[in-house]
Amino acid sequence: MTLTMNTELILETQGLTKRLGGKPVVNGVNLQIGRGDIYGFLGPNGAGKTTTIRMLLGLARPTNGAIRIFGKDIRKERLAILRKVGSLVEYPSYYGHLNAVENLEAVRRLLPGVPKSRIDEVLSIVRLTNDARRAVKGYSLGMKQRLGIATALLGDPELLILDEPTNGLDPAGIQEIRELIKSLPKTSGVTILISSHLLSEVEQMATRVGIIAKGNLIYQDSIERLREQAQGRIRLGVSDPESAWQMLLSYGYPAEWDRSKLTVGQTDDRTVASIVSRLVNHHFQVYRVEEEHASLESIFLEMTGSEGSL
Amino acid sequence: MIRMFRSEWLKIRRSVLWLLAVVSPLLAGLFGLFGAENEGDFPWQEALSLMSVLHAMLFLPLLTGVFAAVVCRYEHGGGGWKAMLAMPVKRTHVFCAKFAVVMLLLALTQLLLLAALLIVGFAHGFTSPIPWHDLLVSFGGGWVACLPLAALQLFVSIAFQSFAAPLAVNVILTLPNIMVLNSAKYAPYDPWAQPMLAMLPRGSMAASALNLSLETLYLVVLGSFCVFFAAGLTYFNRRAA
Repeated sequence: MTLTMNTELILETQGLTKRLGGKPVVNGVNLQIGRGDIYGFLGPNGAGKTTTIRMLLGLARPTNGAIRIFGKDIRKERLAILRKVGSLVEYPSYYGHLNAVENLEAVRRLLPGVPKSRIDEVLSIVRLTNDARRAVKGYSLGMKQRLGIATALLGDPELLILDEPTNGLDPAGIQEIRELIKSLPKTSGVTILISSHLLSEVEQMATRVGIIAKGNLIYQDSIERLREQAQGRIRLGVSDPESAWQMLLSYGYPAEWDRSKLTVGQTDDRTVASIVSRLVNHHFQVYRVEEEHASLESIFLEMTGSEGSL
Repeated sequence: MIRMFRSEWLKIRRSVLWLLAVVSPLLAGLFGLFGAENEGDFPWQEALSLMSVLHAMLFLPLLTGVFAAVVCRYEHGGGGWKAMLAMPVKRTHVFCAKFAVVMLLLALTQLLLLAALLIVGFAHGFTSPIPWHDLLVSFGGGWVACLPLAALQLFVSIAFQSFAAPLAVNVILTLPNIMVLNSAKYAPYDPWAQPMLAMLPRGSMAASALNLSLETLYLVVLGSFCVFFAAGLTYFNRRAA
């Protein structure tokens, strides 16, 4: 569960807890994010993602637990930390009566040492250069979202915290934001924490995943490790599957029978070949041998208890 | 703090606030043009009392509330609070910058009213010299008397998401002015009555409340300002964004 020793931890929480009205909304969460990670922070709606992120940004006070970002305590060095953090929480914030350049300038004036030229840079990163002089209230949701990301990037942050950046976007918009986020660490070396209620949305870009459900962090590891859990099974279509299942079990194969289908959890060629020959030898008729892939999504749903996913 | 203020400045630069600042001086100017006369020994003072009654009694306190509500509105509207407070800024600075903007807009309103008074005076051809000292005390005093109102309205505007709620509070607290100002007993202690008490020329009206000393006035104004400002700032520093 822990990162290897040679990775520097950018963000770490210990026993992070937030109680609202006595009920724990975030419960003893230990996040670990290393430099250069794209950390997918996943969980159904209402699992405690946004509350966690608000605490990370010093917007809400933890009931218990500690937050260290860049090795500094958020309670003691909030300003020093926030200077190197860019964020987009829930929905993008903007001043509708101003255009994109003015919006960014209002933010730039709060960031010490950021040159004016940086505004054009971030606008071109999110491809809003052509609409930069238009009042933001006339923007589409996707454009507002991109402006929000531009705002987060303005201070050239070392850590980017994006809370549901694709919320409410159409598939094309989601794809666009995803490509944009994927391109960031390569170009600027930034570490990213991105939250989502959809695994499919972050699985293509995340290097590490944390899954939160009902306030508890129930999984935290690399995306590869999660993929291993999603390995396929072999489904066998045979005559009299129940006795075939008992026969396979007696030979020590990890077979399962759920009264509708017979599956085996081992998928290497040799095992499959020997299972088929056993079946034939015991005079079962083999109709089908097919591989079944458990999607990451179904694993995710299983872990989070699937509630709130619709 | 200066960075904070410059950021605020950018946000209000393209806002309807400027139009609002013009309304009351414009109305007062019309009052003055048609109501004031070039008679008596103190035409300037008389024009001032005529023009500032409505302004100081109603518009100035109401505008304070509107300005405070507007500088908070664009933060409530676009989720600006959390975005701004996730920046490397001190909450105290945010609060002070917003307060400074409100007071600055009020100063602008006062200056416009002064300009309106001067125009009225010249239009009527007042011959007596402009009583700069009296005018300064009047306009400056009216502005200072808005400090507690601005602090409380900023507090209320931050606390309520809605635009209407702080304005309702403002109207409820301002309207009693019409009656309170007639009471020698209560007027000196009602912060909303202070702009009026401060602005009208000393002794120009019969109402006994207007004869109180500047010391009492400033004590009430500064006392209530400290209470409201501290309460608002404490609330802002503690609340979750």
